[in-house]
Amino acid sequence: MSWTRIEAMIQKSWQNSLRDIFRIFDIFWWPAFELFIWGLFSTYLSRTATTGINIVSLVLGGVILWTFFDRASRDISIAMIDELWSRNFVNLFSTPLSLGEYLVGVAIVASVKLIISIAFMFVLAKVLYGFQITSLGLYLIPAAFGLTIFGWSLSLIVQGCILRFGHTVEVFIWAVAVLAQPLSCVFYPLSSLPAWAQSIARWLPSTYLFENMRQNMSGAGTNVAEIVLSYGLNLLYLVIAVWFLFRSFEAAKRTGNLVKNY
Amino acid sequence: MGKTILEVQDLTKRFGTLTAVDHISFSVKEGEIVGLLGPNGAGKTTTIFMLLNLITPTAGVITLFGWNYTQNREAILQWLNYSSTYVEMAPRLTVLENLLIIAKLYQVHNAHERIKEYADKFGVNDFLNEKHEDLSQGQKTRVYLCKAFLNDPKLLLLDEPTASLDPDVADLVRKEIMEARKKGMTILLTSHNMAEVEKVCDRVLFINHGRIVAEDTPEKLAQKTRLARVNLMMRDGQKRTMVFARNAGFAVSAEGRYVTVSIDERDIAYLLAGLAEQGVEYDEISIDKPTLEDYFIKMTHRGGTR
Repeated sequence: MSWTRIEAMIQKSWQNSLRDIFRIFDIFWWPAFELFIWGLFSTYLSRTATTGINIVSLVLGGVILWTFFDRASRDISIAMIDELWSRNFVNLFSTPLSLGEYLVGVAIVASVKLIISIAFMFVLAKVLYGFQITSLGLYLIPAAFGLTIFGWSLSLIVQGCILRFGHTVEVFIWAVAVLAQPLSCVFYPLSSLPAWAQSIARWLPSTYLFENMRQNMSGAGTNVAEIVLSYGLNLLYLVIAVWFLFRSFEAAKRTGNLVKNY
Repeated sequence: MGKTILEVQDLTKRFGTLTAVDHISFSVKEGEIVGLLGPNGAGKTTTIFMLLNLITPTAGVITLFGWNYTQNREAILQWLNYSSTYVEMAPRLTVLENLLIIAKLYQVHNAHERIKEYADKFGVNDFLNEKHEDLSQGQKTRVYLCKAFLNDPKLLLLDEPTASLDPDVADLVRKEIMEARKKGMTILLTSHNMAEVEKVCDRVLFINHGRIVAEDTPEKLAQKTRLARVNLMMRDGQKRTMVFARNAGFAVSAEGRYVTVSIDERDIAYLLAGLAEQGVEYDEISIDKPTLEDYFIKMTHRGGTR
């Protein structure tokens, strides 16, 4: 791997994001929009609810942590379809740039954008709803990291599918988060899902991270075994996703999809 | 000529039931300029993409600089570059930003100086700070050429290098190609401009239906057609000329006082003797020798069999 080529991808991806108003919207508008909607809803619930649970904090914690997954699952894929749409893949991969270098560069920019998004959300949540970042405590670090990795894994799978099947499967870039959210138990405990859904949810690393977020915020601490399980699943999915993407890249070279004009 | 830079053996590419490239073999020596000619869909671009490792061959071997892609992808691509009017750069980035990124991907150390050098050569300076999406096709082509020379490639693949360029800029590009050859650069190019190919290429590979159907110097290929054009500016006997030519089985056309007869070079004497017998008079006569374009048309029309 060459750092210079990774740097080139960082530069390209960053400049490209700054020039596109919709990419800037992605950083600020949608996270803020989510925060407004869920913040208002949970404020309303907390006024009517009789339990002593801080619903606002639980929901906002869920929204903020979910943003890690949501953004991670989309950003790298969007960078890739940008290249495909602008027919720039040929220019990039006719140079010594490798797929690994490309991904690292794009992932670094995606991480920076994610951090900006999250920082903005924390400020907004504090200003609008008095949400304290400390309410997540140190748990924020493993949860954020785990959810980002899981988002990236699914993103790599989607990218692999685009390389194999073309633009018809692009919709999954946006659909992944929508499909994963109900099963990840972002706003409710695992036990509230029907039995069949629970058995699927147990295979998602995100489920354990949200379960533990609620446990943590209610002062019951963290179930280390579940976090280890979540990370184990994450590692497994990441390895499969990377393998699948590299295989798909080679398949796209065989089918001609890599150089196809979209 | 020097050592072999590129060697292709039995290269084949199939997409499902379609055979885009069918067992082609050729080699290119250091410092050579080789033209890859053929009609649309002949397999030229697929071949170039295989040479760039962007399409994996179904069968066959590509050896570049003595290496293959399985073990030396990075080193091979470091010595290669490519320009085509059919790909794009990042649309929202400026020309300079795009070129700087490409320079970084090739790890060019003095990127700014190199970009300036080629921007001067190809007249790109005026729009270095324009966004790529705002450029005309001709401007984009010039940018791609700048990009193609940035890393001082040992082998340059040019897909239609002068397409959509004004004649003066196209001429400048041809000069630059010849200049690059003097410095030892090897070039493989595709073009629909036959005059250009005749001018710059040492050798031509004619490809049709995925196969190399002819390989020779442009002059020798052109001679293979033997189809010359006899142009006459008539003074008297235009009708007799047309009738005589048609009866003799020659293709003939007329426009005003001018009559053109397309004819095998060996039949010119017969035509002129026949016209003299008919008492035909003409003020001017010129004979266009067969060109590469004639060969191209002939081969394309008859399906490209050798």
